[in-house]
Amino acid sequence: MERFVYPFSAIVGQEKMKLALILNAIHPAIGGVLIRGEKGTGKSTAVRALARLLPEQTVVADCLYRCDPDATEALCSDCRDRIAAGETLPRARRRMRVVELPINASEDRVVGAIDIEAAIKSGERRFEPGVLAEANRNILYVDEVNLLDDHLVDVLLDAAAMGVNVVEREGISIWHPARFILVGTMNPEEGDLRPQLLDRFGLTVDVEGIKDIGQRVQIVERREEWESDAAAFSERFAAQDAEIGQRIAEAIVRFPRVVMPPAILRGLAELNVSLQVDGHRADLVGRKASQALAAYRGIPEVGVAEVNEVADMVLAHRVKAGGRRELGTLTQPVPSASRASRS
Amino acid sequence: MPFEFNLPFTAVVGQEPMKRALLLNAIDPAIGGVLLRGDRGTAKSSAVRAVARLLPDYDAVEGCLYRCDPALPSRYCDDCRVRAKDGPLPVVRLPMRIVELPINASEDRLVGSIDIEAAVRSGTRRFQPGILAEANRNLLYVDEVNLLDDHLVDVLLDAAAMGVNVVEREGMSVIHPAHFMLVGTMNPEEGELRPQLLDRFGLCVEVETPTDIDQRMEVIDLERRLEMDARRVQASYAGQEAEMRKRLTSASADLDAVRIPDAIRTLIARLCLDGSVAGHRADLVVARTARAICALRWATAVELSDVLEALELALPHRRREIATDKQAQVQQLATRAAEQLAQIQATTPMQTTQAVDGEAAQQEGAAGSETNDGWTTSETRESPTNELNGEPDVVIQLKTFNVKKLDLPRERQSRRAAGKRTSTKSKTKRGRYVRSSQAEKVTDVAFDATMRAAAPHQLKRRLSAPEAGNQLQLETHDLRQKVRERKTGNLIVFVVDASASMDAEQRMLATKGAILSLLRHAYVRRDKVALVAFSGRNARIVLRPTSSVDLAERRLERLTIGGTTPLTHGLMTALKLIKTERLRDPQVYPLLVLISDGRGNISLFGEEPLLEAQRTAGQIKQDGIRAMVIDSTRDFSNQPGYPRNRVTSLYGAYAFNVCHDLADRLGGRYYGLFDLSQNAIVDTVQREMLRTGSG
Repeated sequence: MERFVYPFSAIVGQEKMKLALILNAIHPAIGGVLIRGEKGTGKSTAVRALARLLPEQTVVADCLYRCDPDATEALCSDCRDRIAAGETLPRARRRMRVVELPINASEDRVVGAIDIEAAIKSGERRFEPGVLAEANRNILYVDEVNLLDDHLVDVLLDAAAMGVNVVEREGISIWHPARFILVGTMNPEEGDLRPQLLDRFGLTVDVEGIKDIGQRVQIVERREEWESDAAAFSERFAAQDAEIGQRIAEAIVRFPRVVMPPAILRGLAELNVSLQVDGHRADLVGRKASQALAAYRGIPEVGVAEVNEVADMVLAHRVKAGGRRELGTLTQPVPSASRASRS
Repeated sequence: MPFEFNLPFTAVVGQEPMKRALLLNAIDPAIGGVLLRGDRGTAKSSAVRAVARLLPDYDAVEGCLYRCDPALPSRYCDDCRVRAKDGPLPVVRLPMRIVELPINASEDRLVGSIDIEAAVRSGTRRFQPGILAEANRNLLYVDEVNLLDDHLVDVLLDAAAMGVNVVEREGMSVIHPAHFMLVGTMNPEEGELRPQLLDRFGLCVEVETPTDIDQRMEVIDLERRLEMDARRVQASYAGQEAEMRKRLTSASADLDAVRIPDAIRTLIARLCLDGSVAGHRADLVVARTARAICALRWATAVELSDVLEALELALPHRRREIATDKQAQVQQLATRAAEQLAQIQATTPMQTTQAVDGEAAQQEGAAGSETNDGWTTSETRESPTNELNGEPDVVIQLKTFNVKKLDLPRERQSRRAAGKRTSTKSKTKRGRYVRSSQAEKVTDVAFDATMRAAAPHQLKRRLSAPEAGNQLQLETHDLRQKVRERKTGNLIVFVVDASASMDAEQRMLATKGAILSLLRHAYVRRDKVALVAFSGRNARIVLRPTSSVDLAERRLERLTIGGTTPLTHGLMTALKLIKTERLRDPQVYPLLVLISDGRGNISLFGEEPLLEAQRTAGQIKQDGIRAMVIDSTRDFSNQPGYPRNRVTSLYGAYAFNVCHDLADRLGGRYYGLFDLSQNAIVDTVQREMLRTGSG
């Protein structure tokens, strides 16, 4: 079944959003991205399009959680048992999916629950996996994350942070891996997210409707073209999409080898201290994001430019009292500090 | 353990008090666990999971579900008691491990429940132990403990207090031991813990983000190394880990040999007494902690320094007052302790005069705090004069207010509200399982009730379908749905006039005091307070709906006053805020409290400001939002004998009382600010919520 998805490279503008998504695709440990902005700015289109670009994964063919047979540390308990029993896990190749979490989802749908049918019919205490299980090694897309019940957001982000979903309910005691790229969207006009929850998103991007008339016209044109003949349209952008996909695949390989000079690390830490950012997360995410960016650009060593390019995404939601405006003036010390220590 | 958590304990950078508290608990689990409070992302969770690998082994009864201690017959479970009659119990050495209580846990998993598998397959009623059973003699870890549902907290408290878990549910009646080391992590910005639960934690550590650049770089680098090759990092710390484990084991063995001199015991009792600490648990915990500290440094007699460190770990969450200057407090405590110790040692046997001294001092303290209870006059009136000649925007100090306690009425009120609204609560699977009912579509099966419903038909069904054998035979109409009850949250939205009227400072002070006292003693996570302030050309949300005192304090400190009165903006902002909250949680119970002189003079829709405000008020009423209006201009204090009911505003410019009119349009009550002391605002809000609950 080959359904057409609007090509990633056909999305006009919104470069920051696209970059944030790509960085997460390269290194999911960055911790996802929160896209803040009005409706109709191409948020969900971009997320879906991204999933199509990503390299295929190797999975255990019949595993509920699509474990990676090569990553022995992240296997689910079933797969571990099977390996322990001397079984060779069947492999399959698979595309990444976008799993959606609707805002009216109930808690048992998110974390999973006891399979009532099995329990009643045969007395079997079986686990019925929820959205978190489905999301393992996929993209978890939460539209309007700010309207989600607080408790659900807690559960969600808890799982995201640990990479594991622990279920203790209704006679079920189980855990399974839950590593996913978390993409949330919200419209700030409808209420904000608690600062705690904000902090758990690796990156934030603020999107706005495009003001440029030329680009607006282009958006409409492309959309019309897409709707009249999706196949031809996809064909037109196939090469560009393939190229981005290729670059992402290469970046994933390159990522661990990218050098992170101590001067840059120091600059990063100093910047976050001067901005009074709580916790280490800004430091850690900043390091990962700039390293991923360097990998994507094919640069062997992270420089000031990479840090500055991601600084806004890393800090926009972490700087207290005001956010971005202060950030603009305070990003200045980094280049000077690091340049001085470099020369 | 579900996962190989990567970070070795000895690799955790900095955060010495946190590591120390965890290690002391590992040496002596009877200290009672630790609560780690602090910012997100400061390695709290990682450290807890890492310390699990260093915990000592213990002797347990082999084959016992609860791993009873063979040396303690008084704590045996029922099963072991029976078995013990037939001779000595077999012993097995087990590692102490970490048991996690996730915040999504359901109550039946926490306490244990009927074993469905056994019930359905063979019709036997068997107990399936829950997390509390698993936690017996182990470490029970609750991440984000302040976000735990109230009914789970109740169960946890009960078990922790009694050391046993009593299960009376689904036709089961089981009692089993539940002694555990409770470790919790929380971020105070997300809301406070209930004092009873706080007290259950032996120690408490505030974890802060280090500002030392080198330390931070070390953290980034460590994380990078872990990400690249966790095994190599672990291997490089293996030696240190083994060393630490050995040290803990030996300290744990030496514990019984550590002596606490009488003078030190007296000192502990005195320091806990004048540290204004509630309850006796503090004395106990301090003594135990001091002993563990002593054992850890290979000594055999507890000294003053041990006690001081123990105090620092055991008292922060038990103090009634919040320290303003921690450093100074620690210093002060150290000097006082040294003095006291010298005094005690000089006068042996102990004198009664000292006890009298202590009492007198306490009384003095109590009297002192009483005098500035409530609506402070001298201090508040003074502050504006000092600051008014400065900048136009006056920042108000909060310190002048002493906040009144009000737990009792709140509790009653919440229960009532919840009780009335349980029927709407069954949709979500959260909450306490109270009873069962028949439902069209069963999503949350009440197994006990279902089985009870099926029981009378078993004989007949077995006859008609003999091939099923002994199995329980269920039909769809046997199914029963769980009815759950959850306490409802109130949302109190203050809409405060921050314009530069002559009464602005008083108004702000009263409001700030009211908000803080509503939060401070409110039941955690149930009630939320928000604050919308309007002045100049617009309204802004100063405080998003929160139950966190910390956050509220910080936000309120920065609140300034000055400018014109955009009343409509304020009302509209509040309305929008409430609507959003309702989207998130349809069961939220809003109350809008408007504190203003009602003289709106900025237009939002380009109409006469007063008319706009009146229309908005009507809209709020239409949306079914409860409201009350506190008129900041009405003052009876200097007009004795003035009629109390319908009074015109002090400002004669209006032909009628604007605030009263707004209150009418909002369908709410009308009060005057100056006949409400700051405590009275709180009481009034309480009353208003009660009225809402019953109406």
